[in-house]
Amino acid sequence: MGERENGDGTPGRRRAHPAPGFAPGAEADAWSGSVAGVSGAAGVAGVGDSPGLEALLRTALRRDPIDDEGERRAVAAFLAAREAGTRRARSRRRDDWRPREQRRRTRTVRTTLSVALASLTLGGVAFAAIGNGGPGPDGTQDRPSSRPNPSASGAQGSPSSGPSTSGAPSAPAPADRPATAKDTEAHCRAYGQAQGRGKALDSTAWQRLVTAAGGEANVRAYCAGRLAGATPETKPSKAGGAGNEGNAGNPGGTDKGGDAGKAAAGQTGSDGNGQDAGGTGGVGKTNDPGNPNDPDSPNSSQGEEELTRR
Amino acid sequence: MGQGGEPRRAQAYDGELGAAVARAQQGDEAAFAVAYRIVQPGLLGYLRGIVGDDAEDVASDAWLEIARDLGRFKGDGAGFRGWSATIARHRALDHLRRQRVRPRAATLEQDVLELPGPSSTHDQALEALSTEYALELVRGLPRDQAEAVLLRVVVGLDGPAAARVLGKRPGAVRTAAYRGLKRLARQLDGESVTDEDPRTLGEST
Repeated sequence: MGERENGDGTPGRRRAHPAPGFAPGAEADAWSGSVAGVSGAAGVAGVGDSPGLEALLRTALRRDPIDDEGERRAVAAFLAAREAGTRRARSRRRDDWRPREQRRRTRTVRTTLSVALASLTLGGVAFAAIGNGGPGPDGTQDRPSSRPNPSASGAQGSPSSGPSTSGAPSAPAPADRPATAKDTEAHCRAYGQAQGRGKALDSTAWQRLVTAAGGEANVRAYCAGRLAGATPETKPSKAGGAGNEGNAGNPGGTDKGGDAGKAAAGQTGSDGNGQDAGGTGGVGKTNDPGNPNDPDSPNSSQGEEELTRR
Repeated sequence: MGQGGEPRRAQAYDGELGAAVARAQQGDEAAFAVAYRIVQPGLLGYLRGIVGDDAEDVASDAWLEIARDLGRFKGDGAGFRGWSATIARHRALDHLRRQRVRPRAATLEQDVLELPGPSSTHDQALEALSTEYALELVRGLPRDQAEAVLLRVVVGLDGPAAARVLGKRPGAVRTAAYRGLKRLARQLDGESVTDEDPRTLGEST
C-alpha cells in the first residue's frame, strides 16, 4: 500500500502540508517504509517495527541544540542544593529507579513486614466485626424489652394496683402507635399558623389533615373536636390502670345491684302474689321465673281461669 | 519492546549517564552538566509535545527540582532518564493545570506558520518547519498516545520505564504507543490529515 501511493501521489500530498521538509525522496521513502512496517505488522509489538518513523520523529523532536542558559541555570541550582546539603535526603519510593531485581531485594523485608501487618489489621477488623455482630442481637433484644418498662412503671406508679391489670393496657399502647392522633393534634395546633404561608399547606401532612376533616372549610371544626376530645383522652392513657380499675369495679357493682334488684323484685312479686292471688295476675306471671318454687302462682292462674269461666 | 533504534542508542549513553549521575551525586557539578547535556534534548522534545512553546520554561523548572532532589535518586543512567522524565511530567501537568485557569492565546496553527528566527539559513528553516510539523502531528494525537510515543521514541525509555512514568500498566502504554505510531504513519501517508478530527478517541482500526 505504501509503495503504490508512494508512486503516484506523494508530491501533491506533501505540498498540501505546510512542511516541505518531508518532500525529499529519501525521507519520503523512510516514511512510507515505516507505514508499510506498521500497517503490515501482524502483532501488537509494532512499535519496534517502524524504525523509520521513530527515527524521523526522534531527529525532528530532539534536534534542538542545548542552550547554555538552561545548563547554567541547572548547574547553579545544583550548586545551591549542594550548599544547602540536601544531597543526603532520604530516598522516596519514586526516587528508586534501580533495576527491578535490586529494588525487589531491598524491598522484600519491608514488603513482608507490611503484608504481615496488613493481614493482622484486616484480621483484627474482621474479628472485631464478628465480635460486634455477636452481641448485636442481644442488644437489640434488650432494647425492646427495656423500652416498655418506663411506660409500664409510669402506669403502675400512680394507681398502685396489681401489675397484671396495669401492664395489659400500657403494653399495647406503643404498639398501636397513638402518634397519629397526636400528629393530628399537632397539625391542628399548627394549622392556624401555617395558614396563608405560601405552599406549606400543600404538603402531604396538611393534605391528610384536610382529607380527614373533609374539606378545608371543615378543618377548624374538625380540629376543635379533635383537640377537645384529645385532652380528656390523654389523661386515661397516662393513668390507664386507674381507668381500668374503675371499669372493672363498675360491672361488679352493677351486677350486684342487678341481683339485688331482681331479688327485691322477686320478693315483691312473691309478696304481691302472696297478698292477692287473683288481682295482679300480670305481675305474677312476670315474676314466675323469679319464684319458681312458689306453688301458689300456677294455682292462682288456674284459679283465675276458673274465675273468668264463672 | 525496545527493539527500536533509540532505546539501543540510549543504552549506549546510559553508561556514561550513569557514571555522570553517580559523580554528580558526590557533588561534581561538571558531571551534573554532562548529565544535563545527555538528558535535556529528549526531555525537551517530550515537554514540547505536551506543553508546546512553554517547554523550555517547564524544563527549567524540572531541572531545578532534579538538582534539588538528586541526592534522593537511586539508580543507573536509564533509571535517571525515567526519574527525570517523571519530574518533568509533573511540572508539565502543573503547567497545564495553571494554563487551564488562564487559557493561552496562541494556537498550534499559528505556531506552524511562524517562521524561524531571522538568522536561520534556508536549510535550517526547512528543518525547523519539519520539526514543527512533527510536533503538530504528535500533539494531534490523543494525550495518552502522544505521551507514550514521546517517552518511548524521544526520551528513549523502555516499556516498563515509560509505564512507570505515566503511572500505567506496561501493556496499556505499549498499546498506546503502537496506536499512536500507526496513526502518525497513516497521517503522514496522506490520508486526510486535515479532514480527520485529531482528537477522536477510541479509534482502534
